[in-house]
Amino acid sequence: MLKGLLLLVVMQAMGALLQALWLPMLPAPVIGLLLLALLVLLGRIPESLEQASAALLGYLPLMLAIPATGIVLGGDVLLAQLPAIGAGLVVSLLLCIPLCGVLMQRLMAGQREDD
Amino acid sequence: MTDALLQVAHAPLTAIALTLAAFVFALWLYRRTGWLVLQPVLITMLLIIAGIRLLQLDYAAYREAVVPIAWLLGPTTVALAVPLYRNLRRIRANLWPVMVTLLVGGIAIVAITLLTAGLLGADLPVLMTLVTKSVTMPIAMPLAEQLGGLAALAAVLVMLTGVLGTVMLPPLLKLTGVVHPAARGMAYGMNAHAVGTARALEEGDECAAFAALAMGALGVLTALLLPAAVIGWRWLGALG
Repeated sequence: MLKGLLLLVVMQAMGALLQALWLPMLPAPVIGLLLLALLVLLGRIPESLEQASAALLGYLPLMLAIPATGIVLGGDVLLAQLPAIGAGLVVSLLLCIPLCGVLMQRLMAGQREDD
Repeated sequence: MTDALLQVAHAPLTAIALTLAAFVFALWLYRRTGWLVLQPVLITMLLIIAGIRLLQLDYAAYREAVVPIAWLLGPTTVALAVPLYRNLRRIRANLWPVMVTLLVGGIAIVAITLLTAGLLGADLPVLMTLVTKSVTMPIAMPLAEQLGGLAALAAVLVMLTGVLGTVMLPPLLKLTGVVHPAARGMAYGMNAHAVGTARALEEGDECAAFAALAMGALGVLTALLLPAAVIGWRWLGALG
C-alpha cells in the first residue's frame, strides 16, 4: 500500500520535472499518469500499487470537491452571463453525449464486422 | 469560553473534519437515495461552502488547512493508469474507433458550446473560458488563462459541466441505446471528465478505463491543439 503510494508520488514528481523542462501545457499528474502507464507496460502491476490506487480512486469525489469550492471566487462573472453560459453547457451536453456514445458504439460494431 | 470555542472552530483540524464529514454524509445520501442529481462531488462542495460560511472561516485559510487531503488529487490522477493498463488489450483492439470518436466528439463539443454561447451574447473572455469546460480541471485552468479566459471561472465551469454531464449522461445514453461499457466510458470521460470518470468507476472496470482514457486523451489533445487553433483564428482575422 505505502510502496504503491510512493510509486504514484514519484511518478507525479517525474511528471512535474518533465513539465518544468519541456511540457508547460500539461499538468504534472497527467504526465505522471502517462509515465506510470509506460512503466507498467514493461512489467506487471505490483500488489501494493493495486491496493493504493483502488483506495485512492474510491475517494476521487472528495478530492474533486475541494477545488470545486473555488466556485465562491469565480461566481460573479458566472451570474452576469448565466443565460449564455448555461445554454452553452446544456446544449453541448445534450448533443455531444449521444454523439460520443453512439459514434463509439457504431464504430466498434463496424470494426467487428470487418474482422 | 467563547474564545476557546472560536479558537477550535478556526483551527486547521476543524476544516479537515468539516471536509471529511461533508464527504461521508454526501456519500451516504447518494447511496441511500440513488439519485444521480445528488452527485457526491456536488453535495460535498455545497456542504463545505455552507460550513465555511457558518463557521465564518477565511476561504484562503480553509484551502491552506485542507492541503493534507487536497494534495492526494495528484497521485489519484496518476493512479488512473491502473484501470487503463488493465484494459489495455480492449483499448488497443478499438484504437481506431477511440481516435475517431475523440476527434469528432472533441471538435463538436467545442464548436457547439462556442456557437450556442456566442449567439446568446457571451463575451470573448467567457468564450475562451468555455472552450476548456470539458477538460479536466488541472489542464483547464492554465489553458483558459493562456487563451485569454478566466482561470477562476474555468474551475467553476469545469465543475458545472462535470456534475451536470454526470446527471444527464445515464438517461441520454439509455435513450440512444448506448449499452457497451467502452462506448459509455468514452461518453462519460469526454463530456464529464473526472466527475464522469468517478461515476464510470461505479459501472465497472472497462467503463472506467475508457472514461479515464477519454478524459486524459481529450485533455492532452485540447491542450496541444486549441492554442494553435486560436492563434490561427486570430491570424486569419488579422489578414481579413
